[in-house]
Amino acid sequence: MKYIGITTTVPSEILIAAGYTPLDLNNIFVTADNHEHYIKIAEEDGFPQNYCSWIKGIYGVCIEKGIKEILAVVGGDCSNSLVLAEVLELKGIKVHPFAFPVERTLDGIKKQLDSLMGYFGVNLFEVEKVRESLASLRDKVIELDERTYKDSTVSGWENHLNQVCMSDYNLDAKQFEKEIDGLLDEVKTREPENHIIKVGYIGVPPITGDIYDYIENMNAKVVYNEVQREFSMPRHKESNSIYEQYLNYTYPYDTFYRASEVKKQIQERDIDAIIHYTQAFCYRSAQHIVLKHELGVPVLHIEGDKSRNLDARTKLRIEAFLDMVKDQKLFKENI
Amino acid sequence: MKILGADMGSRAVKLVVMEDDKIIFRKQLTTMQFYRDYCNYDNTLHFDLSKLTDIVPDICVSTGYGRNNTNIDDFTPINELKAHAMGACFQTGESDFILLDIGGQDVKVMSIEKSVLTNLDLNDKCAASCGRYLENMANVLEVSLEELAKHHDDPVNLNSTCAVFSESELIGCIAEGISIDRLCSGVNYSLYKRLKTILSGFAGKKLYVGGGVAGNQAVLHFLQNDYSEVIPLEDNQFNGAIGCCVYGKKIAGSK
Repeated sequence: MKYIGITTTVPSEILIAAGYTPLDLNNIFVTADNHEHYIKIAEEDGFPQNYCSWIKGIYGVCIEKGIKEILAVVGGDCSNSLVLAEVLELKGIKVHPFAFPVERTLDGIKKQLDSLMGYFGVNLFEVEKVRESLASLRDKVIELDERTYKDSTVSGWENHLNQVCMSDYNLDAKQFEKEIDGLLDEVKTREPENHIIKVGYIGVPPITGDIYDYIENMNAKVVYNEVQREFSMPRHKESNSIYEQYLNYTYPYDTFYRASEVKKQIQERDIDAIIHYTQAFCYRSAQHIVLKHELGVPVLHIEGDKSRNLDARTKLRIEAFLDMVKDQKLFKENI
Repeated sequence: MKILGADMGSRAVKLVVMEDDKIIFRKQLTTMQFYRDYCNYDNTLHFDLSKLTDIVPDICVSTGYGRNNTNIDDFTPINELKAHAMGACFQTGESDFILLDIGGQDVKVMSIEKSVLTNLDLNDKCAASCGRYLENMANVLEVSLEELAKHHDDPVNLNSTCAVFSESELIGCIAEGISIDRLCSGVNYSLYKRLKTILSGFAGKKLYVGGGVAGNQAVLHFLQNDYSEVIPLEDNQFNGAIGCCVYGKKIAGSK
């Protein structure tokens, strides 16, 4: 098996066509028994304290796990990734850079994908064949997402976990599809649940995975995971080509485009409030200004740093926010 | 119906007992005194009010920093923002305003519309905009908090984001021979500058201020740059505890 590390969701169809197995380094980092160990490796090598923990975690994983080559997204993700790629190169790791276009146009993404295909020596026909082979898995993960909000038989955490795995298909798309089949069968036997507050989670996947349980313990539920859902390419069916598929993928593009999709989902899923997560020290924290302005429902901004558990302050903020949303909702229903 | 409200802050625990909307008992203890002298721990935390008063409350409601810290036997815990919003509605008799609460390590800002909390924010990661900062700076200047709070003219510029670095910046200013009045003004103004960031999303005319720092005249003076009316709550220190009592009355009524 020829693995290639990835730093976020990339046009993995191209990598698979080239005979690689994509490996999402974020997932290895965040699910490790001692994830802070990877951060420590990065800090000992000079990454600052006030730097994104995801980047430091990825770095630590590459060094410790002896990752030989990676595809680094240096455009459409963040400038920290760009530097990460440079430092990894310094450490002798082969880095293939890839950039989503700054302007979201079909020409722009076509140019980038063609160049990536040329780099890996694969053609459009081969890539489209891989895309086709992944379609049924994508459809099933989309169905799992629908079960999260339509009858609430899938939990917010399950929704998060299975969608986030779509960046690398859990290393084996066929096996992962079987697991999703099993889960879809199992959820059919579950009773639909009711929660007073429907929460949308937007922003990068959280380092603090306990947020889902914490929210559900307060009679609220995450019925939408913005970026995780994007990883599953929810509009792949409406996309006529690999180019359109990655043109319709919101995460790497401008905040207004992201917001337009979030607004659609707020309507579709009847969302009461949004929790916007950003990683501490990330430029995306300022995107909150745009998102809060655009979304039209209450939005709480929270940040995570190194810990996988929510700290007391963040818990207080979430608790007070959901309490407020609940009071507002009950107040509106009573008048 | 006697209701005990307890607000467990980072510096002090504020206790209020209300009956028929009147305060019949109030007491402020240091956080250490509260846990050491009035609580015992036997798998769960038990608070012994009888050491302070003969009053036996019917309902007890607590609030404070984090749910675990406020989890005391026989108390219903509520979140701090709700407690402060309810306390302010009760104290002011108003239902539409912005509330700023500045405690020892917390800053909370809330929009209240028709007595319902509609927007909120809290300081995150950093407590340089809070009361503890003023305490530290007053110690460096060797003035009392009361004296520090009087000055707002011609503030010396203090730019550090970090409260600890601010101390060395202040020492630098002392060494330059800048007057104590200007140094005090500078400390108050630097706190105000930090507050401005968190207040930016809360436009309005009337701002009520609670928490210990509501007693700082200079900070209130600076806040008038942004709000036409800046009014400290009458019972600024006990607002959270009063809010607990108001909530207690509400749950008693719904039972």
